[in-house]
Order: sequence, then structure tokens, then C-alpha cells
Amino acid sequence: MKHLPEEDLIAYQLHESSNETAIRRHLEECVDCAAVSESIAETLRVFSAEPVPKLDLERNWQRLRGNLSVLGADQPKRFGLRWKLIWSAIGLAMAALLVVVFIASHGSFTMKTRPNLAINGHGPLTTEPRDPAIADHLDSAERLLTEVNNTQGPLDEITREQAHHLLLKNAIYVHAARESGDVAQAAVLENLGRVLTTLDNEPETPHSTWRLRLEMNTSGLLLDIRILRQNDDRNQGAAQ
Amino acid sequence: MSIPPIIFSREPNQWANPLSNRRMDRAETEAIREVLGGNRDAYRVLMDRHFSSVARVAFRITGNEEDAEEVAQETFLRAYNKLPSFREDSAFSTWIVRITMNTAINLVERRNRDLSYRAPRIADEPSAAEGTVRVADGQAGPEGELLGREAASLRETAMAALTPMERAAFTMRHMEEVPMSEIAGALNITVNSAKQAVFRAVSKLRRSLAPVAGGLR
Repeated sequence: MKHLPEEDLIAYQLHESSNETAIRRHLEECVDCAAVSESIAETLRVFSAEPVPKLDLERNWQRLRGNLSVLGADQPKRFGLRWKLIWSAIGLAMAALLVVVFIASHGSFTMKTRPNLAINGHGPLTTEPRDPAIADHLDSAERLLTEVNNTQGPLDEITREQAHHLLLKNAIYVHAARESGDVAQAAVLENLGRVLTTLDNEPETPHSTWRLRLEMNTSGLLLDIRILRQNDDRNQGAAQ
Repeated sequence: MSIPPIIFSREPNQWANPLSNRRMDRAETEAIREVLGGNRDAYRVLMDRHFSSVARVAFRITGNEEDAEEVAQETFLRAYNKLPSFREDSAFSTWIVRITMNTAINLVERRNRDLSYRAPRIADEPSAAEGTVRVADGQAGPEGELLGREAASLRETAMAALTPMERAAFTMRHMEEVPMSEIAGALNITVNSAKQAVFRAVSKLRRSLAPVAGGLR
């Protein structure tokens, strides 16, 4: 008799299986699978919900209150000020256009780049991803790398697919960062690209995962991504 | 003297799903407007309503009271600072619990990286019992208490071996009974990845119980 994989039995015990009837029927006939299934059920019982300690709301409020800045009445009221913002943006765009025309007509133009202040611990990372899509990209990359960093053995198919997908998008963001002259962001994304390429092409041996993990740890890539991501004011929008 | 084995009973979840997308009522909407208008004390209304669910989720993921409190503080501070970008078409409860989960995962990752962090003492060897894990009940004597501490230590050790993502997905699904789709949304991963994280967690936990459960079957 063919036995069921552990994953199917876990899904069954968690009521996440799409094939519950068939599994139940199998368990009635197969003693081995029934024993594994019972062992999973026992594990779930052992790790069932325990009471949560009650934290002191008042103390926490007092502690928090001291750290709250006053969000001024000058916070943009998203709807009322919309037209004002649009006209301001148009004005700024026109001014920028005039500056570009002036520079172009008065000698050669060289693109100034922001100083690279923070690659792997050489200073604070001050550049911020302005594009929410980049923030989302960094967020996904951070999760993937964290997962890989904590994974034992070879990578599974889903992780590889995620790495491949991120790698394709990463190339666009590297290009955009270079175009905008953001050297620090481009450097972090290039470093990310190298790790993603390795992930995407990694042969299925535990050894290479260890090598990759080591590379990630030594390069401080995860740290750079986190700092870059957390600098982004709009990042939390992705969590909504 | 032998102590009868006491099996953990599954407590019914007495709280609502912390990620349930319930609509905001007028008091919450008004509180947000007031905060954005400069009245920071109005934030207390939101904290009164959501502190317990934030603290509960934080405790599930971090596994200890001190870290849960740190996560709760950071969560409410981050939510406050991001309030101007909060879209009122979604529920504040969903939004803040998602921030909590991400903040808690980040804290656990930081703790794991920090080698100097002193984790709770772990028993050198788990104790073997006759096919079940024994824990102390309310009236247990010194020996029962010892067994209870040992079981708690065993569970802590097993949970500590999970990745932060696995721990978050497992505790939310199994202990808080949050649907997979909502866990996936909160963790910004696919539903399939969330399921895999939960399944991996259960598999690891089962293996961790092997020494006391008479070996894996």
C-alpha cells in the first residue's frame, strides 16, 4: 500500500486538505499512516494555544505617549489639497524644465551622483527608494533571503521561482537606480542581483546553499536591504 | 512515585481573528482625524481598542513577554508615524496587526542574529515519558512543577528552532486560527508559501517531540 506524504497528513490535521475524505478513508485502512497522523495531532495538541500574559496598557500608553510627535494640522488633507498639489507640481516641473534648458544651453552637462555613503557599513545608508514598487521589491527580497538564510539543505521549487521572478524585476530597478544617479541603491540592488542569480542557478546540493548563506552573511546584503527598505516612508503602505 | 500523564488540552480560541477585516466605527475614524489634526492623546482610543490583539500576536511570534512589549511599543509608534498614509477604506485593526506581525518577525530575526542575546535556559536533555508529554496542572506538587517547566522548556526549544516566518505562520494559523489567505496577505507571501511555512513548522515540531514521544513513526 502506498503511504501518504507527511505534508498531506499535516494538511489533513489542520483541515487544509482538499482531499479530506480520501485521506480519512486511507487512514482507516493504513496503520502506518494512521500512526503518523496521530503523532501530528499530538504535536498540534502539545503546541496548542496557551494563555497570553496581559500587558499593562496604561504603562505602555504612558511610555508611548512620550515618543509621539504632534502630527500637525498642516498634514496634507488628501482630498481638499489635491488641486493645490497638482498646481504646485506643474509649477515645479516648469521650473525644472527651465533649469534644464538653461544648463543645456550653457556648456556641457554632467550628471552629478549622490555620494555612496553606506555600502556594507561604511556609513549610514541615506538614500531612500522613492518608488513604492522598489520598496515592495526590497520587501519581497528581504523575505526571500531571510527564508533562504534559515533554510536547511537544498532550495525548494517555490523559492527558486521567487528568486527567478525577483531577478527579472531587479535588473529593471538596477537600471532605474543608475539612471537616477543613486549609486548606493544601485550598488545594493546589484549585490542583490548577484545573490539572486546564484539562487536561480543553484544546483540541488546542500553544500551550495551553505556557500550562498555565507556569502549573504559576509556581504551584509540583508542589512543593507533592510536599512534601504526601512528608510522608505511609503513602505508600510505595502503592509496595508 | 509515578505521576499520571496530563495531556495538553486544546483551549478554544476565545478571541476573534486578529486579522478580521471588520470595518472601522465612527469613534476610530474620528480618533484618526483628531490625531492627524494634532491631538496625539486621541491615539489612546486606538490603543485602547487594539492593544490586546497587538500584544497577543506579538507574544505568539516572539514567545516572551518582554519582546512582546517591545514589539507592541514599536508597532504603535510606527502606526502613529504612518497614520497620514493610512487609507481609511481598510480596517485599522487589519493594518496594525499586519504591522505587528512584520515588526515581530524583524525582532525575532534580530535576536537570532545577535549572538550575545541570552536566550532562556534550555534543558540539557529532554526527559522521556511514556508516549506523551507531561505537564503540571494547577495543583501539581514540586515534581509536577518540575515536569511542567521541563515541558515548557522543550516547547520553547522546539519553537526557537523554527524560522521567524514559520513561527509566525504556524502560531497565527494554529493558535489564533487565522485563515491562510489572511496570513499570506499579512506576510506579503503567496498562500502556497504560507501553507508550506505552516507545514514545515509542524513537521519540525513533530520531530522535536520525538525524544519524548517515543520516536517518530
